Amino acid sequence: MTTQSVLENLTAKLPLGVCVLNDQMEVLYWNDFFADRLNISSDDVKGQNLLTLFPNEAKYLKKKINSVFVLNNASFSYWEHRPHVFLFSSSRPITGEETLMYQNIEFLPLDVTDNKVKTVCMIVQDVTELASYYQGQKELSEQLSQEHNALQELNRKLEEAQNQLLQADKMAAIGQLAAGVAHEINNPIGFINSNLQSLEDYAVKLLKLVNFYEKVVHKTQNKTFIALQKDMQERMKYQFIREDMPELVAESIDGINRVSEIVKSLKAFSHVDSSEWQYADIVEGIESTLKIANNELKYNVEIHREYQQQLPKLFCQPMQLNQVFLNLIVNGAQAIVDKGHIYITVSATDNDYQVAIKDTGCGISKSAMNKIFEPFYTTKPVGQGTGLGLSLSYSIVQKHKGNLVVTSEPNVGTTFTVILPILTPEQLLPEASAPA
Amino acid sequence: MNNALGDEQRDALQELMNISMGQAANSLARLIEAKITLSIPKISSVTPSEFVAMLSSEGMWHTRQSFLGSVKGEVVSLQSRLGCEAIAELMEYQLPLSDTTREELLLELSNILAGACLSGFAEQLALTAKLSMPTVFDPEKLSPDHYRWANTLSMEVEFKIESSQFDSKIVICLEEDSISTLLNRLNSLLE
Repeated sequence: MTTQSVLENLTAKLPLGVCVLNDQMEVLYWNDFFADRLNISSDDVKGQNLLTLFPNEAKYLKKKINSVFVLNNASFSYWEHRPHVFLFSSSRPITGEETLMYQNIEFLPLDVTDNKVKTVCMIVQDVTELASYYQGQKELSEQLSQEHNALQELNRKLEEAQNQLLQADKMAAIGQLAAGVAHEINNPIGFINSNLQSLEDYAVKLLKLVNFYEKVVHKTQNKTFIALQKDMQERMKYQFIREDMPELVAESIDGINRVSEIVKSLKAFSHVDSSEWQYADIVEGIESTLKIANNELKYNVEIHREYQQQLPKLFCQPMQLNQVFLNLIVNGAQAIVDKGHIYITVSATDNDYQVAIKDTGCGISKSAMNKIFEPFYTTKPVGQGTGLGLSLSYSIVQKHKGNLVVTSEPNVGTTFTVILPILTPEQLLPEASAPA
Repeated sequence: MNNALGDEQRDALQELMNISMGQAANSLARLIEAKITLSIPKISSVTPSEFVAMLSSEGMWHTRQSFLGSVKGEVVSLQSRLGCEAIAELMEYQLPLSDTTREELLLELSNILAGACLSGFAEQLALTAKLSMPTVFDPEKLSPDHYRWANTLSMEVEFKIESSQFDSKIVICLEEDSISTLLNRLNSLLE
């Protein structure tokens, strides 16, 4: 075999497209790779213009090949940028998903005399396998990164939820503790109270007795006795004791009454899950709630009350509604940064009750607005909010077939309005009979 | 084997580079029909960490392509992100550039510049070197600790296109073994 025929045999069998062009873009030779796909043999194609053979990509081919002629420098075409310069069908017609062959093309200066390029060789490499592998990898990595992000988001949410659950747990424990302590305190308060009442009675009687003795001593006209009595009264500071004792006792009685009020409210609130339906006075509920919340309110919040006169009693779960009022009032107080006001308005029509709680706090941003009733949503720092208050309130109001409406303006304040329809027990509890 | 570059050799190499870079600039100017200015070639021996530091410049795209022949190595190009559009217009690309067409443009430009620099340089020293396809890369991912070489001879030149803010740097890096081949050629030229 001659070298020529060996080379011809070789190029015919190359798994590459080989095409040689002159500076008129006329094909001088192409191997079987082209010939088989286009059904034009190398002999037939000789002299045909490449650009007329491939009119769709003529502009691109011309630019690429020209640059090789002008610069005497190889040029490349990549499947990433130009996947299908030659519209050859896929090298995997049966098993592949691709319909067209992905190609890398090299344009090489072939015959060069005196630094002038006479012919250019175009080498087409079928990279369909590689390209589909890369694309598969790319899709996979995109999918992975998406899943990774989703997982991270999920993790974050879980962590948040866990924190909030812990917080909720803590709050529940504190509630139980408070209930226990309140119960324990109740007994001593009981006897302190009754003892103080007796003490008040005794003090009055004792003072009367001393008065009587004073008068008796004066009646005797005995100067020694009178002087002795005066001396003793001065030494014992009797004048002061006489004035101060009733006041002390009265103050103590007032104090113990306040303590027992607080304990009573604490007990009531630790039984928030007590869901007894009964007729109740809404204003009374709000007042006892304010007492509970007093600690949160007394330093920086001024409370303004506006209650309509002669409000009817409402059939409701009073303990649960108190919980709602507490949440709304405490939220309002926490929204107030420095000092501010909370306005509580209670009014009723024939059909419904309206309790509006308006604060002059920081307001709720638009983005937060549609999330505030979501369980575990909170903007408060850890330890201050469970993210449960509003969602719980919402569900309580819903149980009363009512509505919880919010309007807010950032940096001006927020108003929560609880609207409770006035319904009969039968309307509220269709399945249960009216309470005794 | 002494791979150190003497002053005399450096001057000779610089002169040779100057000529071949001039040819490269000429090629580009002919293709895009715009005036191009050239910096004086900088020739230095660099260590891996110096090499990485040299490439870490903000606002540049990076490409690389290897060459094989009687000397071996890689050509790295740095091209400014600024002025890309202007040169794309000169090279008859469709504007605005998509990510794909921009990459295509960068690869074409770097191939032209690298090809011209290398062929001029190899021709004058009667060496051969054939360039492979260039690819885009991210110098952030280079780690000098894993390089298997201690020194490379880098020949660096900067092209500027006067009408736009486009700026391109071509760095030819020779493999350690190829440095002595180059030095032998230089010495025989100098004798």
